[in-house]
Amino acid sequence: MTDGAACSVCDSLARARAGDPSAFAELVRQHQRTVYSLALRMLADRHKAEDLAQEVFLRLHRNLARVQSDVHLLFWLRQVTTRLAIDRLRREPKYQLLPLRADPGIASENSAGDPLLRRQLRDLIGQLPAAARAVVLLRYQEDMEPLEIATVLEMPLNTVKSHLKRSLAVLRGKLSGVASVAAAFPGDGSVP
Amino acid sequence: MSPDFENELREALRAVDPEDGFAERVRRRIASETRMRRRWLSARWAPEALAASVLVAVLGVYGWEQRRERQGLEARQQLIEALRVTGEKLDLAYRGVQDASRPASADDAGA
Repeated sequence: MTDGAACSVCDSLARARAGDPSAFAELVRQHQRTVYSLALRMLADRHKAEDLAQEVFLRLHRNLARVQSDVHLLFWLRQVTTRLAIDRLRREPKYQLLPLRADPGIASENSAGDPLLRRQLRDLIGQLPAAARAVVLLRYQEDMEPLEIATVLEMPLNTVKSHLKRSLAVLRGKLSGVASVAAAFPGDGSVP
Repeated sequence: MSPDFENELREALRAVDPEDGFAERVRRRIASETRMRRRWLSARWAPEALAASVLVAVLGVYGWEQRRERQGLEARQQLIEALRVTGEKLDLAYRGVQDASRPASADDAGA
């Protein structure tokens, strides 16, 4: 994010805290992509993801006074989104069984590369246990460092690293038809 | 872990936008929730809430007074019992004194 963009967020945040609805709408527009994408990859369902993303912003609206800066805002949004998604997955394990490619609206195939491989990867990520899935998403979708992920998910750093290592091994193995998700996460069940 | 594989992951997990009008839908949902919350706290519910609060307060005071009255009665009964026991002891002592003095008087009369 550039300085100008960061200032824009700061300004929107300050005005939103002061009760300006248009500033809050601006905040939503600035962060909707992050929140929605996280929700979508976690829940693997567009409608559920939309509902969860709306709920995240609803909670943000209620808790605006507690958000101290634009950096804190991004941290807060990522944390609340992943927590709510994990909670929903735990309550409703059926989410996990929906393959991502079944929904044509959730893939972005604009870039160069192997679209089939990327679809397979998204499917496989959708089969990971919820916590491991959150770690992978924050690492490769949000480009966060393991230490930041540990802070957001309130998880020990070694657990984050372990989730990453095992998840990547599973994804690689599944792509080559060797490993299985269940074998890599014993005792985790379909959804942790 | 090979950078190629990680790059494939990043590509696969490229962020996507929600459907158009997301911010507007959020705005409507916030407005709806705010209305619901206001309605909950609105004057429509205030009389009932006030009546319930008064009822709870009256019942609380009534219960407290009942308890105090019961405690007073118990204390009164204990006092009466203590007085009764004391009276009995005094009566016994009085009879003892009387019995002790009666034979001496009889001897005097016989002499």
